[in-house]
Amino acid sequence: MIGMILRRLAFLPLILLIIYTITLALAWAVPGNPLENPDKRPKPEVIEQMKKQYNLDSFPRFYISYLDSATGLRYGRDWASGRLKNDRERAEIAGFPPPTRPVFDFGPSLEYDDLTVNEIIRSSLPVSITLGAAAILIALVFGTFAGVLGAIRPNSWMDLMTLSVSLVGISLPSFVIGTVLLVVFSLWLGWFPVAQWGTLRSMVLPSITLSLPFMAYIARLTRMGMIDVLGADFIRTARAKGAAEHTVLLKHALKNAFLPVLSFLGPATALAMTGSFVVERVFTVPGIGQHFVNAVQNGDRFLIIGVTLVFATMLIVFNLIVDVLYRWIDPRIV
Amino acid sequence: MNRLLIPIVLLAALVVVALRADRPQPKADLTFANLSEVNTLDPQRMSWMHDLRVARILYEGLVRNDVLSADFAIEPAAAESWSVSDDKLTYTFHIRKDARWSNGKPVTAEDFRYSWRRAMLPDLVSDYAQMFMLIDGAQAFYDWRAEALDAFAEREFASTSEQSQAAEDLWDETESRFNEMVKMIALDEHTLVIKLEHPVPYFLDLCAFAVFCPVYEPLVSQYERPDPVTGRLIRRPGWTKGGVLISNGPYKLTVWRFKRDMRMEMNPYYWGKDSLALRTIEIPSISDPNAAVLAYETGALDWIADNTAAYRGDMVADKLAFRAEHADRVAELRAEGYDQFSIDRLLPQDPRAHTHAVSSFGTYFYNFNCKPRLPDGRPNPFADARVRRAFAMCLDKKTIADEIRRLGEPVASTLIPPGSIGGYTSPKGLKNISDANNEEERQAIIEEAKALLVEADYPQDFVVTLSFNKDAGHDLIGQAIAKSWQKNLGVQTQLNQKELKIFREDLKNKQYVTARAGWYGDYGDPTTFLDINHSTDGNNDRAYNNPVYDDLLAHAARELDPTKRMAILSETERILVEEDLPLIPIFHYATIYMFDAHKLTGLSTHPRTKQNVFLFDVLGDGIGPDLPRPMKPASNEHTGAQP
Repeated sequence: MIGMILRRLAFLPLILLIIYTITLALAWAVPGNPLENPDKRPKPEVIEQMKKQYNLDSFPRFYISYLDSATGLRYGRDWASGRLKNDRERAEIAGFPPPTRPVFDFGPSLEYDDLTVNEIIRSSLPVSITLGAAAILIALVFGTFAGVLGAIRPNSWMDLMTLSVSLVGISLPSFVIGTVLLVVFSLWLGWFPVAQWGTLRSMVLPSITLSLPFMAYIARLTRMGMIDVLGADFIRTARAKGAAEHTVLLKHALKNAFLPVLSFLGPATALAMTGSFVVERVFTVPGIGQHFVNAVQNGDRFLIIGVTLVFATMLIVFNLIVDVLYRWIDPRIV
Repeated sequence: MNRLLIPIVLLAALVVVALRADRPQPKADLTFANLSEVNTLDPQRMSWMHDLRVARILYEGLVRNDVLSADFAIEPAAAESWSVSDDKLTYTFHIRKDARWSNGKPVTAEDFRYSWRRAMLPDLVSDYAQMFMLIDGAQAFYDWRAEALDAFAEREFASTSEQSQAAEDLWDETESRFNEMVKMIALDEHTLVIKLEHPVPYFLDLCAFAVFCPVYEPLVSQYERPDPVTGRLIRRPGWTKGGVLISNGPYKLTVWRFKRDMRMEMNPYYWGKDSLALRTIEIPSISDPNAAVLAYETGALDWIADNTAAYRGDMVADKLAFRAEHADRVAELRAEGYDQFSIDRLLPQDPRAHTHAVSSFGTYFYNFNCKPRLPDGRPNPFADARVRRAFAMCLDKKTIADEIRRLGEPVASTLIPPGSIGGYTSPKGLKNISDANNEEERQAIIEEAKALLVEADYPQDFVVTLSFNKDAGHDLIGQAIAKSWQKNLGVQTQLNQKELKIFREDLKNKQYVTARAGWYGDYGDPTTFLDINHSTDGNNDRAYNNPVYDDLLAHAARELDPTKRMAILSETERILVEEDLPLIPIFHYATIYMFDAHKLTGLSTHPRTKQNVFLFDVLGDGIGPDLPRPMKPASNEHTGAQP
């Protein structure tokens, strides 16, 4: 098991390098100069200087220089040459904290001049992880519950009701659900704040909105799995030996029916925790999801690469976690 | 079964831990939505309106505009007085002795030299570097540095330490070159002398522009070091963080959480702090216009600086209905000289009245590609000014302003919004079917336009493409224009909707026939609009090239007499909007504010659309004088405040 984990982690840098190369090539193809305020164009010589500043005038130079700083090589060099120490001493003399230099430097944001990609990720990823965790939690609890309810009496009114709720969850876009929730619960009833983040109250509506599609999917997966398992021989055996109905359902059936849900949970958690552009926009959540869209629109190449690498890493790590859990819950899998 | 609970327990623990970390802050004295997240708080790097708005809260330039005066007069700020030499070339500023940075250190003439030098460095790539080139020696310094950097990049070095030393040496040389070349002299700590390259009548207005605000050298220079490889100054972000930034304006930055909020507190060392009526200002980052309106309606916001919600047209219509219900009282108040916000304050309270359409310093127009040939090599009919005139005459501007935009925006016949620049008389503009009083007049204008097309031998099989980006209702405007050209001139049209980035590239490369455009002025002089049509200007998307126009601009730049100069500029604009029409002005923009005039005061109604938030007062909050701050008449005829 540990061997498997190490093997998978060893492949991570290689996968990230491939993703970096593809992402950069695509980002490079986006037309326009990301450094310009589109409405006011400076003189051509200023534009020339802009591009030189970040190596935006040459693909190979950009490719190499980005790898140099993102892998920490540049930091290592500056440390070895004593440059880092020099800068620190200068700052001390002037009486100011020295500029922080991360080891793995993902570069500056081209759109937000005063921020580095590291800082943007550091401030927005925790928000998305929190919101994503809450959403998956809601989805898991209610989705499983609804799935089990539906499976106990297939085609009963209860089953039909969970089915229709699931359908709504899957098919209604979240900007509609989000806006409706916002208008009803925040504007009319005044239960939850608008455009605020940081309290449990402010998290309720966005996490429900974000959880709905996942919840619906989990409900369908659980129902399917349960109906399958409930017809199996070992369930009849359990009932025959006189086990209580809830023991049969929860202990014997659900444990087996849950496996497809678990494998869905890996990518779902990664997806939920890297934010949603729509939910973040409707509820003004300062998460990372908006950057996937905005960075591309703004041609902010450093940020595009940064958030893509974060998403790729999360996807790989969560799939790994799920695989570990899988083996643990169901020892039959090796 | 217990094992199944593991994922649930893990997730729940994560949420609880994360939520313990931060709590929201108490409500500030003023909370407003700036709509876009601030791009930078480095004044020399700014170019966005939402950044400039925040800069004026945090920083203070040598002078500032009195935004509450009818003529937008220049008033003292960091400089308490100034004098101008007779040849209008030398400006001497006396910086006030009590001007302080937010850490208590005095603001000196050297601070301005340092900050303006930053803008003149090619390394910093300031969008507005061009404005600083008016100073004697600045252009030569910029060019020298740019060449020196290019030369540095070509040089071979024996070792990295040698290269790193050479980068430091080049920087030292740059500093001494600046001292030699650029005519900006600090006579003493508080006296700054600036010599211009040629007289610039609006130089003081530029000094009031936030890009000319000072930054604190001991802090900023820590973050700007020459790069050992390229020799360029590398900007490391970090000095604009809350609690780190040191600024010299009315407020200091205490918190800036990216995409979340920004908070400012009164600068305890600010020389004019007794006049401030807000202790704290909060700017939550709300990027969705609908969320901003909802937040306003739940009372979380005091002011929306730019309401762009798709349904704002309906909100403006509601406001007009409200005004109509009180038509008599409104007329009465208007006759007494009250400004639009004061009128709202004196009318009964009503939620509909919280929407305010304010005329803006910008114009929506359509560009013609003026090149002799089109991108595909065909001759371009729009290279002929007569064709452009004919098309301009038959564009139904009124329908666009009244039925599509619905924001109460005035139809435009000039590029510069009339009345926005003191001392400038706008030309009349070309006749347009929207001006016609009756069907007969309208037909006469159309016949005249058709005659122009015949005269210019306009090819009837030519298909006019209208290019626009797909956002913000440009498609509806494009359809209306195409319809009015088809109907009135009988020409063929084609709509060409594009993705924003591609649209912009096409404009830049002149890959279009006609295209939508807009322009906002930066400073209070007609050249802020007229320069974009100069044959060599970087923003001349029309490829318009008329030597007479260029000559007139050059002539105006040499003219020392302000009245004569304005007359020349007026003639320049007349050529643009009555004869040559490389662009068709359609309407002048309005900005939609949301605020309660009974509660918030100190906002300017001047068409330059510049708000100084430090002038705001929340009425009845017990902080500051709590008295209405209406617009004042032009400063040279001050008669005291309005009742």
